[in-house]
Amino acid sequence: MATSSESLVESAQVETGITTVYRALDELVHLYALDDAALVVDVPGFGRQVLHAGRRPLHDDEHGFHCAEPGLYLQPPLDDLVLNDLMVALATLALRHDTRVP
Amino acid sequence: MNLVSLDELELHLRRLRGVVAVGFVTTDDLVLVEVQAGPDAYDDLARDATVLAAEHVRGAVAVEVVRWGDGGPREHEARLRVVELDADPGAGELTVRLAHDEQEAVGRASTAGGLAAAVEATVDAVRAFLPDLAYLPGWARTVETTPDRRFLVVASVTDPLARTHLRGAAEGATPIEGAVRATLAALNRTISRSL
Repeated sequence: MATSSESLVESAQVETGITTVYRALDELVHLYALDDAALVVDVPGFGRQVLHAGRRPLHDDEHGFHCAEPGLYLQPPLDDLVLNDLMVALATLALRHDTRVP
Repeated sequence: MNLVSLDELELHLRRLRGVVAVGFVTTDDLVLVEVQAGPDAYDDLARDATVLAAEHVRGAVAVEVVRWGDGGPREHEARLRVVELDADPGAGELTVRLAHDEQEAVGRASTAGGLAAAVEATVDAVRAFLPDLAYLPGWARTVETTPDRRFLVVASVTDPLARTHLRGAAEGATPIEGAVRATLAALNRTISRSL
């Protein structure tokens, strides 16, 4: 059986960038038994973007992502700056990658 | 609809000026696309988003554009909020209490209608604030139950004269609460100017 990291790597090999980001968010939610996860990034060509786990709507934006600084937002929070930076970098690269793929 | 087309649609939508987030609720017969837009979004965003959605989704698709102004969300838009829900199986009645500022109103419906009763009671309460409300209750459907037992519900209301439908999605601790909040999500942005 593939581990989470293996399935994430497989996604990065064959799927789009944005699918891989959502897969990563979903696996974080599953791995740490989180209630929710979202990424806020600022990407050239896209501007500020919010990616919500499960591709779920933000509805009334109860967590205030519209005004949030770029970063990884987990509920409940995890104090892990490396994970934060890696996820923001992954999402930024993914959106830039998808822009270039015809 | 396959995942690649969903990716393509999301990427196209995110490239539209002012779009900040894109979310999806998919049921057997409807794809609801929520587009969240910031203050730099343009007037025709809803039209362009709808055209893109129609190009990428086979079957029924509804697009909800959620616009936020400057200075953060919720501060410039009058909205109704849920105060209380009460289902009385003995009396066969569902009661929904809504509030706008200090004013409150109650809507009622027979629980015999199932989840649609939540839509009916909510519209009934909204009509207490806006007697000329053109929208009639439609349907509600639970589309997902989360692992922590939250219920994601899509609700629909209809203007029979204009033949337009508004659909909203929301979560609740029960399907009834989700349906009430989804009905408000469908109506709030349309009625906010009249409140």
